[in-house]
Amino acid sequence: MTTVTAGGSSAPPAAKGNRWGRRLAALSPVLPFLALLVVWYVVWVVFQPRPAVLPEPRHVLRTATALATEGTLLRNVLESMQRLVLGSIVGILTGVAAGVLAGLNKRVAAFFNPLVVFFSALSGIVWLPLALVWLGIGTAMVTFIIWNSVFFLVFSNTLLGVQLVPVVLENGVRALGAGRWRTIWQVTVPGAMPHIIAGIRAGFGFGWRALIAAELIGATSGLGQMIYSAATFHRSDIIITGAITIGVIGVVMDRWLLAGLERRTIERWGMV
Amino acid sequence: MAVQQRRPAAAQPPTEQLPAPAAVTFGRALGRRVMGIGRLVVPFLVLALVWWGIKVAFDLPDNVLVSPTVVATTIWQLVERGILTDFIGLSLRRLGIATVISLLIAVPIGIALGLNRHMATAFEPFFRFFQAVSGIAWLPLAIVWNGFTDRTIVVIIIYTLAVPVIFNTMVGIKTVPQRYADMCRSLGAGTFRVVRDVFLPGSLPSMLVGFRLGIGYGWRALIAGEMLVAQGGMGDLIFQARTGNQTNRIMAGMIVIGTLYLVLDRLILQPFEDATVAHWGVLRA
Repeated sequence: MTTVTAGGSSAPPAAKGNRWGRRLAALSPVLPFLALLVVWYVVWVVFQPRPAVLPEPRHVLRTATALATEGTLLRNVLESMQRLVLGSIVGILTGVAAGVLAGLNKRVAAFFNPLVVFFSALSGIVWLPLALVWLGIGTAMVTFIIWNSVFFLVFSNTLLGVQLVPVVLENGVRALGAGRWRTIWQVTVPGAMPHIIAGIRAGFGFGWRALIAAELIGATSGLGQMIYSAATFHRSDIIITGAITIGVIGVVMDRWLLAGLERRTIERWGMV
Repeated sequence: MAVQQRRPAAAQPPTEQLPAPAAVTFGRALGRRVMGIGRLVVPFLVLALVWWGIKVAFDLPDNVLVSPTVVATTIWQLVERGILTDFIGLSLRRLGIATVISLLIAVPIGIALGLNRHMATAFEPFFRFFQAVSGIAWLPLAIVWNGFTDRTIVVIIIYTLAVPVIFNTMVGIKTVPQRYADMCRSLGAGTFRVVRDVFLPGSLPSMLVGFRLGIGYGWRALIAGEMLVAQGGMGDLIFQARTGNQTNRIMAGMIVIGTLYLVLDRLILQPFEDATVAHWGVLRA
């Protein structure tokens, strides 16, 4: 009994130290951000730049709070997200459909492959002038740019994924009596899923950037427009607030939404 | 990584078992090459036909859609007047300067951070965050700092390229088995030697993945930056054409931009990547 208590009393300090070490390690990702904040503050104190060039960190915090409370930030974020979601969903649906259809036939795939490669190289912001001519300034134009970024990446990855599904598997299911559509739905599409997800993730990355760029130039609202109009008034505090918001949304989307989705499909289909 | 457009080299069964006479082999090789070019060209010809068909069928005015022949003549005119070569030169010069500077900054930082496990863990979210803040999002600030100049564009591309290269170099170094470094060290190699001979080659594939992604983003940042800064370059060319309603120039410029990027990607990046990945084996982060 005594030995047990003795063992019990001697163990906690070590465990405690370990726990503190682990807590410190868990906090370590905060340090680079803190360091950047300190550098920023020191630069501000030493060089005393005009607020238009570099505002004080606290000034940015005040602006961010003001923008958040008066609803400007939320309105612009929602505006941007709406475009992103709309463009991405249409882009993913059309991209997967086109990729599966084209990938089923070897000749069709060979025909579309160079086109898809070319248009992937061309996707996104390059279409902006033409999109402006076709659709004018506004939501339709921005959505088109996002669709364009997402579609070709998803298309090309789906095409690749479908082509990589072993024909043996399809034949096996067909030999068991499955029809053509059933084979596609239950073998080809799931088999290509890791590539499709990778395409969606890449498409989101490019689409998110294209969104900001398109809003900078061709929109009257949204995050991109918010930071660009801030530039004309030399409001660096608003620009930095917007950039941080863009980063946070991007990380949240990629890490929580897409990485999770990717991990689940990869685990399920056992691919690296 | 994610952006895979290239088909993997599937193990193809040998088509010819018996050695064929030289003339026959040559003929087949020529035939295959012609077929290959055909496979590349025919889709674009069909696309041009469809494009022309849409133009004629809907009788679209020239400011909405111009016919393929007009675009071809426009490209020719731009070449003849020297505008195209000037603007391509400007764009590539910006991209080149930014690439050199960002690699000089990013690779040492990535290696230094990757060598220390604690540093790497601490900095991972940091670079993830800045990867999500696209270079274009800093464009307004860069304009406030540098005005509508070349420097604004170059700074944006340096940032866009450097972040994924630092991140992937760091991750690549982390994935190099510690044992390799320990072995080299036990054989008497110093830190510099270990970095040069073990960590650098070991992280190269991952580094290239980052570089490829960075160039993909950077190229688009370049075009977007040139549109806004308006100091020449391909982005400026197509954006200026919009105000003059010169849809022919926009489409000509787009075709040139797409082709340029493909040439850059296929002729420079991919062979380099193939060589290194083949040499050191694929490392996936």
